[in-house]
Amino acid sequence: MMHSDHLIVRAREGDKNAQGRLVQLWYKRIYNFGYKFFFDHDLAMEVAQKTFISMHKNVGSLQEVARFKSWLYTIAVNYCREEARKKKSRRSFSLNDLRPGEGEESYRWEESHQRHENPERQLRQTELSDLLQECLMQLSEEQREVVIMKEYEGLKFREIAEALNISENTVKSRMYYGLDGLKKILEQKKITKETLGYEL
Amino acid sequence: MNYKLDKGILMAYLYGELTEQEKEKLENYFAQHPEALEQLKALGEVRNAMSQVQEKEVIAPPVFADSNPPPSVWQSGYFKISLGIAASILFLLVAGKILGPEIRYAQGELRISFGRPQPEKKETPMLSEKEIKEMIASSLASNNESQKTVREEDHKKLMQTLVEMNSKKMGVLAENTSQASKEQVQTFVAGLQEQNLKLMKDYLQLNSSDQKKYMENLLVNFSQYLQEQRKQDLQLVQSKMNYIEKNNSQFRQETEQLLTSLISTPVRKNNY
Repeated sequence: MMHSDHLIVRAREGDKNAQGRLVQLWYKRIYNFGYKFFFDHDLAMEVAQKTFISMHKNVGSLQEVARFKSWLYTIAVNYCREEARKKKSRRSFSLNDLRPGEGEESYRWEESHQRHENPERQLRQTELSDLLQECLMQLSEEQREVVIMKEYEGLKFREIAEALNISENTVKSRMYYGLDGLKKILEQKKITKETLGYEL
Repeated sequence: MNYKLDKGILMAYLYGELTEQEKEKLENYFAQHPEALEQLKALGEVRNAMSQVQEKEVIAPPVFADSNPPPSVWQSGYFKISLGIAASILFLLVAGKILGPEIRYAQGELRISFGRPQPEKKETPMLSEKEIKEMIASSLASNNESQKTVREEDHKKLMQTLVEMNSKKMGVLAENTSQASKEQVQTFVAGLQEQNLKLMKDYLQLNSSDQKKYMENLLVNFSQYLQEQRKQDLQLVQSKMNYIEKNNSQFRQETEQLLTSLISTPVRKNNY
């Protein structure tokens, strides 16, 4: 990722254009990390915005260019934890939690982005995705952040360890228990290979 | 085989982060322990299932990048401040060279001077208190005397000039006042005469005009009365004349009738 490294070097030197390019490159990743962590669009947006504001302010103090990825996820995880604390203290719920029923009134039709595909198939895929996301939300925060970083963000165990400032073995252990926990949750919800095959 | 499977190795294998050597060892272990392989497969299925979670599309917010390059060293604040300090010091040095300041401290006295040092004045020998008093007394006495003479002369001059000025001013003032009163009386009397004359003239004019008007009115009224009287007399004469004329014509008619009757009656008498 030489191109990205060059951008990071320039951003570290205060090049605003390079910082802007980094935002464009990484915004979707950080947003999706936040979304999977909270299963909430607004909170994910909040985390993404705060992360990139912090990146803009502090990228000059980044020591190693190679550590940019884990450094960025460290910021994102910290903001996720902060928002989670706030959410617990607020005890509020998002309007998105109010799931409408099936049919044309379902908001999932609106969430469908790939309109050229079969709408019914798209709807089922979205429903399945939400169901699995709910399973993910049943994990503890510690396991969830590791599972998301590994499974969806594709970080190496070493990078996750750097981002969370814990040992690599702890990361692997949390990953194992996370997957094991998900296996049990899927069994509880009777989501099997066959069900998934039927759904798809 | 002393190989011991732990969760870390299993996770590293599942995500392909094992070295070839470790991978080989683990696969050998799986061959001997199929239950471990089953466990791995179950976790792999969980991964497959969880991979169905969709990515959310999001548009990154626009970033307003600064088109200006980062500030150079010459434009940095630190450089400007240090340049300012250096310029101030240089200015002081140049000013010091040109003005030649001299700072001295001697006998508890700090002196700062510019330019060439002035030669110190020779100190005059000290006078005694008595001498100073005598000097002051003598200078005061001479001063008083001279002041006195000057004052007297001034007083005399002042009095003389005052008397002269007063007499002159009084004469002028008296003359002015006498002239002024004579002229004023004359003008006042003349004014009074004029005013009286005017008043009398106005009064007479007013009177004569009123009388004239009154007489005119009276004459007009009298002429109107005469005319009216004449008119009435004429009307009376006319009416009398008419009456006479009327009587006359009536008398003539009666006379004619009588005559005619008379003419007719003698003939009949004759018949008798």
